Amino acid sequence: MVEIEYLEAQVDKFVFKVKRGCYYTKEGIWVQVENGRGRVGVSDFLQQKSGDVAFVNLPELSTTLKQGKEMGSIETIKADVTINSPISGVIRETNRELEVKPELINEDPYGEGWLVLVEMSGFESDRKNLLTAEEYLTVMKSQAEEEAKKR
Amino acid sequence: MVDLPKKKVGIIACGGEEIPEGTISRVAARMVLEELRPEDTVTLCLPLFLAGDERERAFARFYPTIAVDGCEKLCAKRATEKYSGPVSSYIVVDKLIERLGLSPGKSRRELDEVGQRAAEAVAQEIVNQVEHIMGKKRAVAAVPEIAISASAGAGTACACASGIPITQVNIGGVSVGLVALEPIFEHFYQEGRQDGPGLDEEILKTVKLYNYVPSNAEALYKATLLEEYEKFCRRKGG
Amino acid sequence: MSQKEGNKVLIIPCSGIGKAFGSVGREAMYMVIEEMRPEGSDTLCLSLLTLGDEEAKERVRRHPVITIDGCPKACAEVNVKSAGGRSVANFRVVDTYREHPELKVRSVLHLGEAGRKLAHILARKVASQVDAIKVKEEMIDG
Repeated sequence: MVEIEYLEAQVDKFVFKVKRGCYYTKEGIWVQVENGRGRVGVSDFLQQKSGDVAFVNLPELSTTLKQGKEMGSIETIKADVTINSPISGVIRETNRELEVKPELINEDPYGEGWLVLVEMSGFESDRKNLLTAEEYLTVMKSQAEEEAKKR
Repeated sequence: MVDLPKKKVGIIACGGEEIPEGTISRVAARMVLEELRPEDTVTLCLPLFLAGDERERAFARFYPTIAVDGCEKLCAKRATEKYSGPVSSYIVVDKLIERLGLSPGKSRRELDEVGQRAAEAVAQEIVNQVEHIMGKKRAVAAVPEIAISASAGAGTACACASGIPITQVNIGGVSVGLVALEPIFEHFYQEGRQDGPGLDEEILKTVKLYNYVPSNAEALYKATLLEEYEKFCRRKGG
Repeated sequence: MSQKEGNKVLIIPCSGIGKAFGSVGREAMYMVIEEMRPEGSDTLCLSLLTLGDEEAKERVRRHPVITIDGCPKACAEVNVKSAGGRSVANFRVVDTYREHPELKVRSVLHLGEAGRKLAHILARKVASQVDAIKVKEEMIDG
């Protein structure tokens, strides 16, 4: 069994995990490459910052996505968060569980809280605009420290 | 420059539903967090703490924590001691407001004017304790001397998923877990401070920002920490 | 068991301090026990119960319990069950919010008008559950 590894950063009492092996946008959307397809979700920091998810709005199957363009949103008890796609491609699966259990995004953001599975087109090019887990950890820590000051 | 974790004080309030003093504890804790000392404090959620949340318990294990209880049943204090470790100080609201000649008011649901005044007084006492812990201001009403638990921390890695670095050090024959010791040593090393007068005092002062050091053991801690730092520098090749 | 205490349903909110929904659940509880069903319901300090207070444990053994949780972590339900309580119903504030997403709660300390409305809607549901429990118990006793 492959052991999943996470990088961690702590600000105050909050610990934020970053899953190794994924690529990230600086806004906190991750993509994990699986046999040529990309599974997409929100990072631990983004879900903690946004609050408890009440509604998830995802695009339909077969929708064409373009990297950086809006692909959906999550509505939490605090805010509406726009999700911009980290990659280009066509949606082949959406996580239907989120319709009845949107809290999966909070409980397991890198696992059962995934959003969509995309048949990617042009990932070699898209990857240049994404951060590795290590790079995202640095960016995320600064963002988390800024958030802590606002409180 | 090494990034040392910022010291904050945790406030854990009982929030007891049955009496106005429980509501006062809740309101006072939030007042401190939101208005009075937002940069120095964090609130810990007692129900989450009791339900087993490791993040809340880890914070109280490694950072100074003030328990604010509505009554002598001391639920917040007892919970912290049971699942994390000794509190740095605690406040019993009904006793405090009686001592100050105040009243809790009649409502446990929404504080009336009288209850609000009591909450403000409790909040101010929390602030006094926070400032004492942070070493920022005057010493206030005696903070109980608390013996460091020899079981604090667990090994050289962090004790849970909290990410907080702990190092076990033998101090006077007792194994003590010290928070952030390695980053502290690294900080001094990178500053080029490998020896010199007053170094032991400065190391102790920095360690005390993250760890409780009994006043009657300061000399022992100072000597031991300096030895450990010298070993650290030798390992670094300095 | 005293006559005064005998028929009451205990309503136990999580009272989470970190989220506004913890305050909504707490407010909904007070609405029920003080306004809507004062004769038929009461509350109990959750932390006292979880820390093993004998009187609190005895109360939850004797009376049916409704828990109200501010977030999916469900601390009230988890803690009542771990203390041996009989939780007959659990309400999550977020479920009521999903039915009324226009009611945005202002803050943990100050619910605001929308927050109080949300608490009131939740309180009515809890009060209905109190009634249902009492009807069922009367049928069993009768």
